[in-house]
Amino acid sequence: MKPAPFRYAAAQSLEHALALKAEAGEEARFLAGGQSLIPAMNFRLAQPAMLIDLNPLDDLDYITVDNGALRIGARTRYSRVEHCAEVARWQPLLAEVLPNIAHPQIRNRGTLCGNLSNADPASELPAVMLAAGARMHAHSAGGDRWIAAADFFINLFETALQPDEMLVEIELPALPARSGTCFIEVARRPGDYAMAGVAASLTLDANGRCGSASIALCNAGPTPMAAAAAAQLLIGGVLDAEAIAAAAAQAQEEVEPNGNVHCTADYQRHLAGVLTRRALTSAAARARQGTSA
Amino acid sequence: MNPIIGQALDRADGPAKVTGAAQYAGDFTASGMAYAVLVQSTVAKGMITGVVQEAAQRAPGVLHIMTHLNAPRLPQGGKAAFEPPAGRMLSLLQDGVIDYNGQPIAVVVADTFQHALAGAAQLRFSYEQQPAALDFTAAKRSAYAPKKAGKEDADVAWGDAGAGMGRATERIDHVYATPMQTHNAMEPHATLAVWQGDQLTIYDSTQGIAGARKTMAKTLGLDPSQVRVISPFVGGGFGSKGSVWSHVVLAAMAARTLRRPVKLALARTQMFGPVGGRPRTEQHVALGAGGDARLTAVRHDVVSHTSVMEDFVEPSATQTRMLYATDNAATTHRLVKLNVGVPTFQRAPGEATGTFALESAMDELSYALNIDPIELRLRNYAEKEPHEGKPFSSKSLRECYRIGAERFGWSRRPRQAGTLREGNELVGWGMATATYPANRMPASASAKILADGTAVVRSATQDIGTGTYTVMAQVAAEALGLPMERVRFELGDSSMPDAPVSGGSMTVASVSPAVQAACLDARAKLIEAAIAPGAPLAGATRDDVTTGDGWLALRSDPSRRVSFARAVGGRGAIEGKGEAKPGKEREQFSMHSFGAVFVEARVDRDLGRIRIPRVLGVYGVGRRLNAKTARSQLIGGIVWGIGMALMEETSLDPASGRVVNASLADYHVPVNADIGDIEVVFVDEDDPHVNPLGAKGIGEIGITGVGAAVANAAFHATRKRVRDLPLTLDKFLV
Repeated sequence: MKPAPFRYAAAQSLEHALALKAEAGEEARFLAGGQSLIPAMNFRLAQPAMLIDLNPLDDLDYITVDNGALRIGARTRYSRVEHCAEVARWQPLLAEVLPNIAHPQIRNRGTLCGNLSNADPASELPAVMLAAGARMHAHSAGGDRWIAAADFFINLFETALQPDEMLVEIELPALPARSGTCFIEVARRPGDYAMAGVAASLTLDANGRCGSASIALCNAGPTPMAAAAAAQLLIGGVLDAEAIAAAAAQAQEEVEPNGNVHCTADYQRHLAGVLTRRALTSAAARARQGTSA
Repeated sequence: MNPIIGQALDRADGPAKVTGAAQYAGDFTASGMAYAVLVQSTVAKGMITGVVQEAAQRAPGVLHIMTHLNAPRLPQGGKAAFEPPAGRMLSLLQDGVIDYNGQPIAVVVADTFQHALAGAAQLRFSYEQQPAALDFTAAKRSAYAPKKAGKEDADVAWGDAGAGMGRATERIDHVYATPMQTHNAMEPHATLAVWQGDQLTIYDSTQGIAGARKTMAKTLGLDPSQVRVISPFVGGGFGSKGSVWSHVVLAAMAARTLRRPVKLALARTQMFGPVGGRPRTEQHVALGAGGDARLTAVRHDVVSHTSVMEDFVEPSATQTRMLYATDNAATTHRLVKLNVGVPTFQRAPGEATGTFALESAMDELSYALNIDPIELRLRNYAEKEPHEGKPFSSKSLRECYRIGAERFGWSRRPRQAGTLREGNELVGWGMATATYPANRMPASASAKILADGTAVVRSATQDIGTGTYTVMAQVAAEALGLPMERVRFELGDSSMPDAPVSGGSMTVASVSPAVQAACLDARAKLIEAAIAPGAPLAGATRDDVTTGDGWLALRSDPSRRVSFARAVGGRGAIEGKGEAKPGKEREQFSMHSFGAVFVEARVDRDLGRIRIPRVLGVYGVGRRLNAKTARSQLIGGIVWGIGMALMEETSLDPASGRVVNASLADYHVPVNADIGDIEVVFVDEDDPHVNPLGAKGIGEIGITGVGAAVANAAFHATRKRVRDLPLTLDKFLV
């Protein structure tokens, strides 16, 4: 199919893009990689009246590192992040997840901020933002605000962004010393949406006990699902097989999978448990070795 | 000189395909061509009560909207060519009856494809809906016996299966199920219909141009001489292009009404319903064996679905009638009617699904008897066809088992299941027998030796991606005595000499003898011309003349020779004709290809995920006319089998009857990353009975046995027996 008619505007600057958006409101959509938006338009699942093309905005294509904290711009494509040594060094969880997202051709075009603005709970990246404790930088003609990842994903394909706002940047905090992360998923085919996936991040305290923990799952509910109670079980304890098994069992209780044509909700729930156990086991080993990933 | 037949030559059509020069049906154009889009019903059963078409009619570029209200009336209500199993019941807009969700109910024609699509999107139908039969299990209560199961009777029995079962000391008695599947050839069906007066030319993607001509003529009330079908390249058929489906006739109807050429290409989603698919099967297999592990009785009762429109039988029990020696057997086929599209032949119809059931059951029996699965098969080896007692024309199955076991390292396989493990993966080895009948039908060909010393050989056959262009050129070159590069083989035009459908793995077996005969006829005429008085080899006897590498030479004096070009001389061309058809060999022999397939499965203990790192297939398929294309056919067949075992399933919404995974994103087939090592080994066979070239079919045997071998390997790994395909992850969680 071809999309329904729409107007097209190539943004000349960030301010220009925001002005156009403020004017058109919800009827307009920002176009970055277009990896989800264009197919949705071709199927006529999305019929925006206007596309505001961010691709001319080269100044939004960046990765900066400040004391280990990463900032990634709205026009930065997956493949740049995937192959960035600084990302692998400071935020290995992000480096680890990227090869799981679709195929190289798609990663050459798609952007992280575009993905996150789309807020597809089946996508890996929103869960990674939760696990990494990322912040989202929303920008509009009216000003700036930072939104914690935990507050950003409201519902299926719904974010905290206002109609006049753009997600211009994401910030991932520096991973502390003695930390380990892991992302793991199971898909029927490589490159497909996962039946379920888990992102985990663990930091040991000076005594080798679990100082902080975060666990988030994709395709496990209407939003990326943080398994907060499971993570809480780990804190203060020794990260042994028993503790990890208990956390995995708890994570299984925290997800709300729906099932789909490729797998049942029961299987997704089962996966949530197995993958949480595997991800925590890897992350804990990496934290102990001080290798992060 | 080395024989040309048998060489591992590259495909003759390879460069045309990779450069895009090969013209597929959808690539053809005609002056003034319009574009048609097929519109499908959105309910599974009922009547069309209204059509709202004003908006569609006014849409830009729309030229014509054809519905049951205005479609031209056809002879016998459009059913004139209905002749099962290949002549299908079509939906040709002759009435407003809806039999399934997705049934063609209109054609919208416009000046561009986009306009046709946009117009079609604005067409609205209202229906009087009726309760549809969509539940296989519920429909089983009214299962009935079909007239035939493929070419055989629906029910075949010998001995006394009940008594044999009573004597057994071990029994296996289970139901095995295979799901609805969809062919999904890479090239979707496409048709261009061009009328010149009362002459119709169809550019179609078809496995059978002769059949398509006949069907089109009958359906439209024409003489076959008024119809020409052209199909030089086919991007895969897998059985779904073995019949003429509704869209082909509808394109011709629209073109006649509009008096301009009409192209109609199906979208990928439209291939799930109106162009066939494999029906669901539920197969009850019971095996009984004595202490000596010999089968005392075999039962195989098959229930498969068909459409309410027509009976199509997936003949899953047919191989059970010939594969193992037993004195007592009973096999039946039953049908249940559902409100779905008409199912059809798909990738070894019968054997692909039937061997899953039978060979899984044999595996289960081997565990029950605690003997090796190969040993069980050898104990029950059929030295002759077990029912009628006919000898096999050739059979190397024992060799296949032996070579396969050796190469796979079978002797290192622990008898007990669930004992091999590497890390988180459970490892298992399984095997199964493969088999497919050696089919053949009459065919004809022509061969023309031209004055430039080249030859053009023609037959109205098809190359559905299998290598017909290449293999037939090899047969022709060798028969004529020309090098390969001076022979051009042409196919895909119904004005050429008749050939059968490319189905049933029989193109090579049927067409190559005709090609050979035509070339030998042309060669004989060329020799006559060369030895005629005044000709270069005047005075020689015809038996003294040999041909090779483009020359005619005398055996008695090789220095006397003349080129093909000179021998043709002023005649311009010398033409030969050839016909070949099966004789009485089928009455004397049972003719089949056999093989043994070995699989290693690795199952993630926690996730249930199966990987197949290694498959070995050993086959006896008669003589291979091209070692490369033959091997490729078998590898492709094994990949089909892996797809069938692990992925393929067409899911029907039980409420609406709509296919819910009608796309390649949701209907999974294996991609390169899913496939590990596949090794194919052939056992040389010299079978003088099947046909003059000694070639048995290789197109479909590759898929047979694979489903069971995978399931058997997965059981060996996990001790979990899964009896319904596909083997998805959830089925391996306890």
